[in-house]
Amino acid sequence: MARPAIIRKDDRPPFHARLLRSQEGIVFSLAVLAFVLFAILLPGFLSTGNLLVLVRSVSILGILALGMALVVIARGIDVSMIATMVVSVSWAFVITRAGYSFELALLIGAVFAIAAGVIIGVLIAFGDVPPIFATLAAGSVIYGTGRTFFFTLEMQNVPPDTDWFSVIGQGNVLGIPTTVVFFAVLCGLFHLVLSRTRFGWMLYAMGSNPNAARVTGVPFRPMTVAQYAISAFVAYLAGLILASSAAAINARLFNSTMIYDILLVVVLGGIGLNGGHGSVRNVVLGTVFVGILLNGMTILNIDYTVQNLVKGIVLLLAIVVDSIVNPRDEQTSQQGDL
Amino acid sequence: MSDIVAFRNATKAFRGVAAFRNVDFTLRRGEVHALLGENGAGKSTLTKVLAGLYPLTSGEMLVEGVPRMFASPADALAHGIAMVFQETNLIPSMTVAQNLFLGEEAFFNRLRGVNIRAQQQLQRLSFHVEPTALVSSLGAAKKQMVEIARALQRHARVLIFDEPTAALTPEEKQHFFALIERLKTEGCSIVFISHALEEALAIADRISILRDGECIVTDEAGNFTRGRIIQAMVGRKLKDELYGSPSRRRARPAGRKVLALENVSMGKAVRSATMSVFAGQVTGMFGLVGAGRTEMMKIAAGILKRDFFHGGSVRLNGRSVRFGVPRHAISRGVAYITEDRKLDGLFETAGIAQNIFFGKLFKGANPATVVTLSQARREAAEWVERLNIRTIREDAKVVELSGGNQQKVVIAKSLIQAPELIIFDEPTRGVDVGAIAEIHSMIQQLADAGGAVVVISSYLPEIFAISDRILVAKQGRIVEEMSIEEATEEKIMYAAVH
Repeated sequence: MARPAIIRKDDRPPFHARLLRSQEGIVFSLAVLAFVLFAILLPGFLSTGNLLVLVRSVSILGILALGMALVVIARGIDVSMIATMVVSVSWAFVITRAGYSFELALLIGAVFAIAAGVIIGVLIAFGDVPPIFATLAAGSVIYGTGRTFFFTLEMQNVPPDTDWFSVIGQGNVLGIPTTVVFFAVLCGLFHLVLSRTRFGWMLYAMGSNPNAARVTGVPFRPMTVAQYAISAFVAYLAGLILASSAAAINARLFNSTMIYDILLVVVLGGIGLNGGHGSVRNVVLGTVFVGILLNGMTILNIDYTVQNLVKGIVLLLAIVVDSIVNPRDEQTSQQGDL
Repeated sequence: MSDIVAFRNATKAFRGVAAFRNVDFTLRRGEVHALLGENGAGKSTLTKVLAGLYPLTSGEMLVEGVPRMFASPADALAHGIAMVFQETNLIPSMTVAQNLFLGEEAFFNRLRGVNIRAQQQLQRLSFHVEPTALVSSLGAAKKQMVEIARALQRHARVLIFDEPTAALTPEEKQHFFALIERLKTEGCSIVFISHALEEALAIADRISILRDGECIVTDEAGNFTRGRIIQAMVGRKLKDELYGSPSRRRARPAGRKVLALENVSMGKAVRSATMSVFAGQVTGMFGLVGAGRTEMMKIAAGILKRDFFHGGSVRLNGRSVRFGVPRHAISRGVAYITEDRKLDGLFETAGIAQNIFFGKLFKGANPATVVTLSQARREAAEWVERLNIRTIREDAKVVELSGGNQQKVVIAKSLIQAPELIIFDEPTRGVDVGAIAEIHSMIQQLADAGGAVVVISSYLPEIFAISDRILVAKQGRIVEEMSIEEATEEKIMYAAVH
C-alpha cells in the first residue's frame, strides 16, 4: 500500500494547534483562562481561604466522578450514585444513634452500598436492562427505601463522640486538606487499576466493543456487576467525606443537580459516553475546570438557577465542540471499503 | 456527448490522505461500468463522491457535460444519480410501499393508494415483492429490489451499486444480472463495484481498475482476462490463479478427533447437525447463506447455545461440553475468528498491539494481574511480524488499517490464545488480494503444526485452495462430506443447492 510513510516530527502541527485539536486541550485552556480571569476580576478568588474551599468542594465531586468514569469507560452509566451515597451514609448515622458502635455502623453502611451496586449490576448484566434506566429507577428505589424504612429526617448529623471522624473531612496532612489527599490517593489507585491491570484493560475493551470483548473471553457479566459495586462503594466513600466535612449529610442532595455535575465533569474532561477511552487525567481536568467555574460563580453571587443554566450551556458546548473537533470521521467509519 | 458522467483530474483527500487522486473516469449513456480494485483503492469513495456523499477536494465532475458538485445524496438524486448501498438504506419497520415513497409522501396518505402505486411500480419492473410486506421480513435480494425500485421511482438514470452481489445466493445473482440487462435497455447507466472478477467480466461493458487511488486502466470488458485484471489490481505479476487448481494437492491425513457435533439443534438455524473436525488438517465448510454453518461453529465456540431439550451433544476431545459463555470455550482451546470484524472482532479505540494482546490478556483469570503497554507491544510484535501486518505508524488505530490488515489483527488476537481448534468464518471477506494469499498460507501452517482448523467460506475456489476435507451444509444440516481428492465443484454445488 502506497500510503504516506511515518510522519516526521517537524510535519506535526505546532503545539498550540495540537492543544486546541483535542477536547482535553480545549478544556485545559478554558480552565487556565477561567482561573486567570477570576483571579484578576474577583478580589477574593486568590485568597488562601477561598482556594481551600475550592479544592475541598471539588475533591468530593472528583471522587464521585472517578466512580462514574470507571462505569462510563465500560460503556455504562450510573445515575444512582447520589442516592446510594446519601442513603448508606445516613443509615450508618441513624443506626449509630440507635445503639450500634460507630465502626460497625460504618461497615453496615458500606455493605449496604455495595449490595445496592451489586443488585444494579445484576439487573444490567443478567436482566439486559439498559444502564441508564436500571440506575435511574434503582436510584429512586434506594432513596425511597431509605426515606421510608431507615430514617425520616432529611438532615442526619454526624453522631456525637466520634471525633476521629471529623478528621476525614476537616483535617490537614502537611497543610493539605485531607479531602484533597483522599482524592489524590484515589486518583492514583484508579490510574493504576485502569492503566496497569487486566481488570482495567477489560473495562476499556468492554467499552470499545462489547461483542468483541465477550467473544475474546472477557467475563462480561461478573465484570459488569463489579463496576457498579465499585461505583456504589466510591459513592459511599465520597458520602463519608462529605458528611465529615459538613458534620452532617443532607438526603436532599438526591434531588439536587449533583449527579449532573458529576456527568459534566466526566464528559467535559473528555471521557466519551461511548466508552472505551479516557483516563484519570480526564477526570482531574474536568474536576478542576468545573470546580473553578462553580467557585467563581458562587463568589460572583450568581443565582443558583443561573448557575445551572451556565453549567448546562457549558455541557452542550463541550459536546458540540467535541463533535466538531473530533468529527464522526468520514473516513474511519468507512475505512474497510474506501 | 455520450458521456453522462465524467470526472476530470479528480482528487478526494481525507485530512491530507488521498483516497484517490487525479482520476479521469467517464460513464457512457446506457453502459454497465465495473470498478475493480483492492480494498482501499478508492472505488467506494469515487462512487460516493458521485452520489453526493462527499465533495471533491480538487478537479471537477461533469454530469451531462455540466460541472456539478452535489451537496447531498438528495441533490445527486435530483440530478438522476442514485446509489444502492452495500448495507441497504431502507427502514426495516416500514412496509415496502412506505419505503418506496419515503420522503415524497403527500401531507395526507391513504395506505391503500400508496400500496396500489407501489404495486404498479414493482410490477412494471417485474419485481416479485409484496408492497405490504415489512422490509425487515425480506431477504437481501428483495431488499435490493426495493432499493432499485425506489431509485427508479425518483427517475434515476445513473445507478451505482457497491458490492451488489455480496449478500446474494447464486440463484439471486442470476436474477440480478438479468435485472441489470433490463435496466440497461431502459437507458440507465450503471456503475458497479465488485470483488468478483468473473461477474465483472460477464456483465460489464467497460471495466476500470483502481490501484492506490489511481485509475490504472479503463477498457472494454472484452479486452480483459482474469489474469490481466489481477495484474492491474495488484500491480505485480501474480501467478494467474491465486487459488490453486482443484485437486492439485493431496489431503493431509486426519489426526485425532478434536470436535464432534452429534445431532446438534438450535431453533430453526441448526437442525440435527452432525460433523467432526480432526487435528492436523483443514476442514472446509461450504454452504449457501443461511445454511447454518456459522451457527454450528458458534455453538462449538460457546457464542451461541444449542437447544436445551433435544439439542444433541458437542464433544471436545471426547468429552461432552456445554459452554455457557465464549470464555469457557476459549479456556478449553477453541478460537472462533469472526466473519464481521466491525461487529465482534476489533476494538476500534485501541491500537494494534493492544488489540492483539487483549486476546492473551483476557484468557487469564486473575483480574489484578499487572500489565503494561510495553509488555503488550512486545507480545504483539511477534504476531505483527508472523502475519506481516503492515501499518502506517506504529501507534496507528486499527480503523486506519486496510481490510486485510484488520483481518490479520483479528486473527492474531485469536492465535495468541494458543488454541487447538481454530474456526475461521469467511477469513478473506473484504480482504485485498495480496493479503488473501498470506492468510491462506497462515491457515496451512496452523494445520501443519497439528491444529484442527475449520474454514467457513462461501467462495468455492477458496474452499478448494485450502481444504483437506470438505463439509457441505444445507438448511442447518451437514449434507455431504468429501476429501479434497474426490471433490469437484459440481458435486459440492449439487449438495449445497438441491
